[in-house]
Amino acid sequence: MTDATANNVPASSVHGGSLLSQNVRTRRRNAAERRFRLYGVIAIGLSVAALLLLVSSVLNNGVSAFFQTYAKVEVMLDPEVLDPKGNRDPAEMSKVTTIGYGNLMKDAFPAALQKAGISVEGITDKEIGDMLSKEAPAQLRNRVLADPDLLGQTIEYWALATGRIDGYLKGRVTMASAELDSNVSPAQLRLADQMREADMLETRFNWDFITFPDASELRPEAAGLGVAIIGSAYMMLIVLFLALPIGVAASIYLEEFAPQNRLTDIIEVNISNLAAVPSIVFGILGLAVFINYAGLPASAPIVGGLVLTLMTLPTIIISTRAALKAVPPSIRDAALGVGASKMQSVFHHVLPLALPGILTGTIIGLAQALGETAPLLLIGMVAFVRDYPSWPVDGFFEPASALPVQVYNFTTRGDPGFVERASGAIIVLLVFLLCMNLLAIWLRRKFERRW
Amino acid sequence: MSIGLLLLIVVGLGVIGYFLGRRRALASVSGDPRRLHSLPSQYGQSVFLFTVVPALLLLVVWLMAQPQVIDRQVRGMVAADGSEGAALSLKMADVTRISEGLDALVARSAVTEEQLDSMRADFSDIRGRLAEVGVAVGADVEPDVFQAAKARRSLVGTSALMMSLAVLALAAAGFAFALNRIGPEFRARNVSEAVVMALLIGSSLVAILTTLGIVLSLISETLRFFQVYPAREFFLSGVWNPQFRGGSDLGIWPLIWGTLYVSFIALLVAVPIGLLAAIYLAEYADKRVRGVAKPMIEILAGIPTIVYGLFALITVGPLLRDYFAQPLGLGNSSSSVMTAGLVMGVMLIPFVSSLSDDIINAVPQAMRDGSYGLGATKSESIRQVILPAALPGVVGAVLLAASRAIGETMIVVMGAGAAAKLSLNPFEAMTTVTVKIVSQLTGDTEFASPETLVAFALGLTLFVFTLGLNVLALYIVRKYREQYE
Amino acid sequence: MYDINRVESSVTQGDIKISAKDVQVYYGDKHAIKDVNVEILDKTVTAFIGPSGCGKSTFLRCINRMNDTIPICRVEGRIALEGEDIYDKRVDPVQLRAKVGMVFQKPNPFPKSIYDNVAYGPRIHGLARNRAELDEIVEKSLRGAALWNEVKDRLAEPGTGLSGGQQQRLCIARAVATAPEVLLMDEPCSALDPIATSQVEDLIDQLRADFSVVIVTHSMQQAARVSQKTAFFHLGNLVEYGSTDDIFTKPQDSRTEAYISGRIG
Repeated sequence: MTDATANNVPASSVHGGSLLSQNVRTRRRNAAERRFRLYGVIAIGLSVAALLLLVSSVLNNGVSAFFQTYAKVEVMLDPEVLDPKGNRDPAEMSKVTTIGYGNLMKDAFPAALQKAGISVEGITDKEIGDMLSKEAPAQLRNRVLADPDLLGQTIEYWALATGRIDGYLKGRVTMASAELDSNVSPAQLRLADQMREADMLETRFNWDFITFPDASELRPEAAGLGVAIIGSAYMMLIVLFLALPIGVAASIYLEEFAPQNRLTDIIEVNISNLAAVPSIVFGILGLAVFINYAGLPASAPIVGGLVLTLMTLPTIIISTRAALKAVPPSIRDAALGVGASKMQSVFHHVLPLALPGILTGTIIGLAQALGETAPLLLIGMVAFVRDYPSWPVDGFFEPASALPVQVYNFTTRGDPGFVERASGAIIVLLVFLLCMNLLAIWLRRKFERRW
Repeated sequence: MSIGLLLLIVVGLGVIGYFLGRRRALASVSGDPRRLHSLPSQYGQSVFLFTVVPALLLLVVWLMAQPQVIDRQVRGMVAADGSEGAALSLKMADVTRISEGLDALVARSAVTEEQLDSMRADFSDIRGRLAEVGVAVGADVEPDVFQAAKARRSLVGTSALMMSLAVLALAAAGFAFALNRIGPEFRARNVSEAVVMALLIGSSLVAILTTLGIVLSLISETLRFFQVYPAREFFLSGVWNPQFRGGSDLGIWPLIWGTLYVSFIALLVAVPIGLLAAIYLAEYADKRVRGVAKPMIEILAGIPTIVYGLFALITVGPLLRDYFAQPLGLGNSSSSVMTAGLVMGVMLIPFVSSLSDDIINAVPQAMRDGSYGLGATKSESIRQVILPAALPGVVGAVLLAASRAIGETMIVVMGAGAAAKLSLNPFEAMTTVTVKIVSQLTGDTEFASPETLVAFALGLTLFVFTLGLNVLALYIVRKYREQYE
Repeated sequence: MYDINRVESSVTQGDIKISAKDVQVYYGDKHAIKDVNVEILDKTVTAFIGPSGCGKSTFLRCINRMNDTIPICRVEGRIALEGEDIYDKRVDPVQLRAKVGMVFQKPNPFPKSIYDNVAYGPRIHGLARNRAELDEIVEKSLRGAALWNEVKDRLAEPGTGLSGGQQQRLCIARAVATAPEVLLMDEPCSALDPIATSQVEDLIDQLRADFSVVIVTHSMQQAARVSQKTAFFHLGNLVEYGSTDDIFTKPQDSRTEAYISGRIG
């Protein structure tokens, strides 16, 4: 203690003065403190603003997809045209293509307008006919084929209007934009106004958006998510039935049984690295192994499901291991103490206690898988599919789309009507995700247990 | 027999086996379970496992091997005229499509099996018939291809039948074997536990198999790519210009540049915002603010990337173009490095902030106390004590975020553009490694062409890059945590 | 065990530095400190003793408002430093803590170099106009903490690399470097071995020349060795306060006597 000297501490101006008044330096430091705090507030504000902007952008663009414009056409279903053989046999009647129905409607529509007292001057019959979706005759045909008794009657048919007319009623298309647009003319829009006043044109809730299959490039008004939702649902089923058992089994082994050795280390490293592999690499794996090597059909939910299973496994394994770890050793000891085998103690006692945690992790993993897009692009889920796949298990091997891929598909098309469809599909996707996450939160709250 | 039905039968047999095994075990001791070595249900379990597990394994192996075996046999039929390489693989693709088309025709009862047998490529209008079921064949079908297609079809049929029989036979054999072994002395518990253990180990090996699958498929296809395209060009050329008719320039540098540029902007957005948000939430915010702000930031993490992609495409891109790029004369493209970078930055905010939150909380309270005790303000403590203490962890978090940014696909596909360029202007459309993987593998180009195979080389580059970053980041974070444990 | 010099020095005590009047501390609903009245003298070592959980550390942390960092903690009453109420709205705790330094139970050097650890306080409070002055403060503080000879050749090495006793003396040097008037020590030796403890105790005795030192200790021997005044806390109450000699030789309160003779605590 030789080097300790008394009175060795510098006196300083800071230390004079009263505590009750802040000195200059303290004021400056406090200002810096407030600035720093403000940066934090700004950061939070920016994040929250980004979220709100994102959600409102999607809602703004997408809500209108759930509404669709229909035009009322009184159409006489002429048996001469639609059932030339006259035997009401749907197989025979299906030889009449949509063109036949289209002609019927093209004739009926201007007539119906005139009957309703709407002036059709200055506008050709072709332009009037073009206000109806090209999908409308096909829908009428399906309806007639399903119910041949309609033949010979004059029915009031609400036909899909084209995307441009629909856009006009939703405010997306204006007179000014119609001037520049080869697909719609101001005359058609004026006619649409008149029809609306005569209650011949109305916008209704659009269930078809959720149930119908995709439609071609030129028919945004008829495009739906039916096939995509089924495809996504099939893939989720596959992921659930493969990833959950495999993930839980792997976690049980690693957490409860695995010896401390090289192999275990390799598995652990593998799992943590797989969790960080970019999703698109899994797509490449799916293409190379499942499609090119194993010869599974492209665009099929089975391939998508397998790829997503491999992607989801690390998530499920990590959360399952956390859930198993949270079960206190005393439970295992108690089971072993009454003579249960190690396997029995795990399956009878540890696993049931860890179940809520495992399910929560699984649901979150599924939610991630549901939103995953990139790997599905590579295994052909972008294909244009209009046929609903059949029931599982065979349906797993038939072409389908997937919800997020359908969004991407919509965005690659030229018609502005598809922006609305893409955003609408996002809303559907987000609603599914929200439900899954709420379920996970509910499970966690309900079964949360602390030891 | 469809695979679904087969599965159902095997599992059904297993369930029956369970009950029979249980009953037989009880019967063998005349209904007194105490004389059994194991519980009655464990005898049932052993029968179930012996029935189901080997049969399902056989099913999986068969399904994996079948395409290769059939492919080899059919290949001989079409290779007779001496075609090989790309021409042969084109022919094989035709064979596959035609045989599937024939399946569809039969399924629709448009043709019967007998008619099919007598169909000849040179007489019947195969092309027209196939078009009915939506199978478009480029040219008229050559006779040898058609014969091969028919052969393939019958081979697939035979193989499926044989597979069903073999699987069922194995299930039945396992059933009989396990049932036969049951007696009071049979150690059912040990046997069924050994089988379950094997299943557990097998499941945990899936992770290794996945990694192997990724590495092997990437490497083998990349080697194929380097056989048809010089590796030197790929790694050294600064031009990316794929052509449908060959003679493409496939230099990786423009893609790497785009990837790094976008990622850099994303990190420039995400790191300060994420870090400051984490600091604010950890050190300043009261319970109420935290209760609202934290979940909101976490929601950002739960939103799929396709949503961010759409956001970039329809909102951020046009906004940047109309209010920044065009007025400043920097370009008029709505997809740009800036668009993708900004949106990706938003996506990464929760990632950075939750990692930073963990790391900041790992700094011991004693550090804070020490600093406050000396009269430091909160921000001084954070900047001069907590952040330096947490620096390695934060660096690890940033590296993890960078790896995420590099591997992100949908945001750049929809926001960055498709033009491979080496430019500094952030308002110009550029492209990334992931965008090109998607575009090269989703086009209609022939699989064996360099334009398609290059995607695997890109994938391998991406894999190595992100893996390296991750290993490094995890190593740093682990070291950091050890320091405070 | 009493050193005659130390008893004599207790006679030359300074003026009243801190006075606490009717201090109450609550942790949420818990009443942790009840009606504490005490006057702490300048140039004196004051020891707070008592069984664990008696509130001695809590009260210590009130003196430089470290309890502000705990949201559920609430302080009532008046604590004055040289006559100024430190809980007055106008008082900035940052400025207060520059005057009232603190050393903690466990050595907590920052993960920085030894030099930067000591220079941290002077830097944030702006005590040095240039590098030379800062060097001087660092050297003086390290000498003041009896650490200079041990570390002068490795000032750039991390402070976390020192031994436990050295770390604690580094923390004392760090506190001394801001030139406080009062130095609070919360069981500064409890994490140290006996040799390091005696070094730190020697140091505390020397610090008395410049500061008013308040030390919380669970060791009665330590209180007797280093302090001139002792306050005994029990269940949140200040039971007895007086010169160390009086408390240990003729305690007035039966609880004090019981504690000192080892019957409670």
